[in-house]
Amino acid sequence: MRAVVSHRALLVVLFAVLAVLPVVANQYTLFVGNLLMLYMILALGLNLLVGFAGQLAFANAAMYGIGAYGAALLQVRLGLSYWLAAPCGAVLAMAIGTLLAFPALRLSGIYLALATLAFAQFTQWVLLHWNSVTFGAGGFPVPQPEFSALGMSPDRGIYYVSWVVTVVLLAFAWRVVRSRVGRAFVAMRDREMAAQALGVGLLRYKAMAFALSGFYAGTAGALYPAVLAYVSPEGFDLFQMVLHKAMIVVGGMGSIAGSVIGASLLVYLLEVLRQFKATQEIVFGALLLAFVLFQPRGLVDFLKRSVPGWSEPLHYASDSESAFDVAVADELVTGSRGGADR
Amino acid sequence: MKSFRFVLNLTVATLIGGLVAVGHAEDGVTKDEIKIGSFGPLAGPVYMYGKLAMNGLEALFDKVNQEGGIHGRKLKLVREDDACKPEGGIAAVKKLIYDDKVFAINGGGCSNSTLAARPEIVKAGIPFVVNSAVADGISSPPTPNIFTTQLTATIESRAQLKYALEQKAKKVALVAQHDAWGRSRYEPMMTALKEQSIKPVSDEEMTIDQNDGTAQALKLMQTGADAVLLIVYPKPAAVLIRDSLKLGYKPLWIGQTAIQDLPQLQEQVGIPGALEKFVSIATIPAHPDDPEMAEWRERIKKLFPNDALSVFNLMGIGSGMVVVEALKRAGADLTREKFLKAMGSIKNFKTGMYPGPITCKPPASNQCNQSVGWIKFGDGKPKSAGVTTLD
Repeated sequence: MRAVVSHRALLVVLFAVLAVLPVVANQYTLFVGNLLMLYMILALGLNLLVGFAGQLAFANAAMYGIGAYGAALLQVRLGLSYWLAAPCGAVLAMAIGTLLAFPALRLSGIYLALATLAFAQFTQWVLLHWNSVTFGAGGFPVPQPEFSALGMSPDRGIYYVSWVVTVVLLAFAWRVVRSRVGRAFVAMRDREMAAQALGVGLLRYKAMAFALSGFYAGTAGALYPAVLAYVSPEGFDLFQMVLHKAMIVVGGMGSIAGSVIGASLLVYLLEVLRQFKATQEIVFGALLLAFVLFQPRGLVDFLKRSVPGWSEPLHYASDSESAFDVAVADELVTGSRGGADR
Repeated sequence: MKSFRFVLNLTVATLIGGLVAVGHAEDGVTKDEIKIGSFGPLAGPVYMYGKLAMNGLEALFDKVNQEGGIHGRKLKLVREDDACKPEGGIAAVKKLIYDDKVFAINGGGCSNSTLAARPEIVKAGIPFVVNSAVADGISSPPTPNIFTTQLTATIESRAQLKYALEQKAKKVALVAQHDAWGRSRYEPMMTALKEQSIKPVSDEEMTIDQNDGTAQALKLMQTGADAVLLIVYPKPAAVLIRDSLKLGYKPLWIGQTAIQDLPQLQEQVGIPGALEKFVSIATIPAHPDDPEMAEWRERIKKLFPNDALSVFNLMGIGSGMVVVEALKRAGADLTREKFLKAMGSIKNFKTGMYPGPITCKPPASNQCNQSVGWIKFGDGKPKSAGVTTLD
């Protein structure tokens, strides 16, 4: 009899463990568990945009920051309750994320990466310098939502909120990639011209991909001030962007389970490496390099090949038609230059 | 019957003994060990406020342990990396409190990560003595379990301005980095200037990696500033001083604790006599090469063979000395309550590291270091240039 471990079973077990964690864990483990779920949401959103829709964007950390600052500032500046401010933060990130689809219509590959990176740096600058609104570089404390009516501490209460939100967003992402929208994302990523010929509206689906990714990052951001009770610009810098990208590279581009596995592995690694003092950056860099060189399709590809029953369909371009090759080929066909295409 | 009574008595005694022991049990304290936690950046561009300060603390603990410990207990340092990030600070502090179960924390390398961790430290009630981070909000408003032996950004900014005014400066200018570190000092400086009704004749910005400061130097020259308050790291400071000298502009430069290594600054400027009119604040006015630091040079070399004693080691040692003194005063029956009471009792305690004595005044203020030491560069080495004490 062959052992069968499906990706669904793994996720069910993982979330079951996360559900009982507050009962058995101390506050440190609870905090790490909560951070893990935030990173799962971030990796899911980024994978929808990069892994499925093929948009090489670098603004995820900025969206995360916009969600966090949106939710926190609405509470601190305008006195809104967290339960109202948090959805507003997520929607704000989604709205700004949608606007990024417009440059994405004319840019692709490395040019889109540079444009979104510039946007991320601009967001950092605003968070640092717009003192009268963002409190500047020093950051600011944010009150945690109360759960005393449920007999829970704020840390435990927000943990369960994160758990519910993560499960809902995971299920939603699952539905999206199996729907017409998901198929359009994959078609758009593999070859935009062919997708258009099949009736896939690029503006519509790019806007949808950026909006979804912005919403996921904004939702994680909206949970951030409730988990940390403090917001400052360092939480949303370039390192964050690299971390989010590493999660989907290690887990697997174009895989929902891969997003969860990548986030779990990297958060676990970062915490374990805390023990080994100052080796985080070396191990982290080596891991990223190893995956890019030897396992470019991430852990899920390995699991799919070696674990019977691992049935998640993987949506990646074939080796001969990587996104970069396709972009170059398209540019040669259309004769466009400097990344402005189509 | 006798044996039954004996067993009963033994059981009752054990229970009472156990209850007493439980009543006195403090996290991180056993009969032969006290665990002290520390957090800060262990790598990255500001590792010296974390790793090097912790190395100094470890050298101090090693000395204390060699001398028999404190009331028979050896000190053990538990290090956690916060990567200078808010979430890293919270994770590090939670790990120290709930996983490592340390008795007290002596650390805090970066302001924002320490600020982020403050609510958890307050909630847990664990004694925390800050050794490096400078943000005012860490120790203010005062809370019974947080003390600092570091100067705060406000104290340094006020001292910089006070020094300029004492030197009869007529036109004061400001050059600052507007990143997270710079803004945490720039804002208190602007408040201090406003309080004195002084409008800086020029307010220039430099970045941490700037290679040319000619534009800023020309602007300062044009305004005729005779004292320039520097809120920048050593590299932009060196660039600005170098380019000002090329233009023949020589104001009084007034730095702060980020620019404590004056021999290195002189080397970076590369022009002989460049620091003639330069003074800076030193958390630790003593230089690692001073004869009275010989013992610490040897201890650091012994524990960390690849390192030479640095001023950041001395920062860790100085702050650790205050913690050790409080542990001694708290007595053999150590509790956090007794330790905090002992911290509050510290008055005019001389560490030999800080420019002035350490005095904690709870509940009004747990800012235990109010003395600002000044250093200047002469005869190829740093020299003391006096002490400013603020209240």
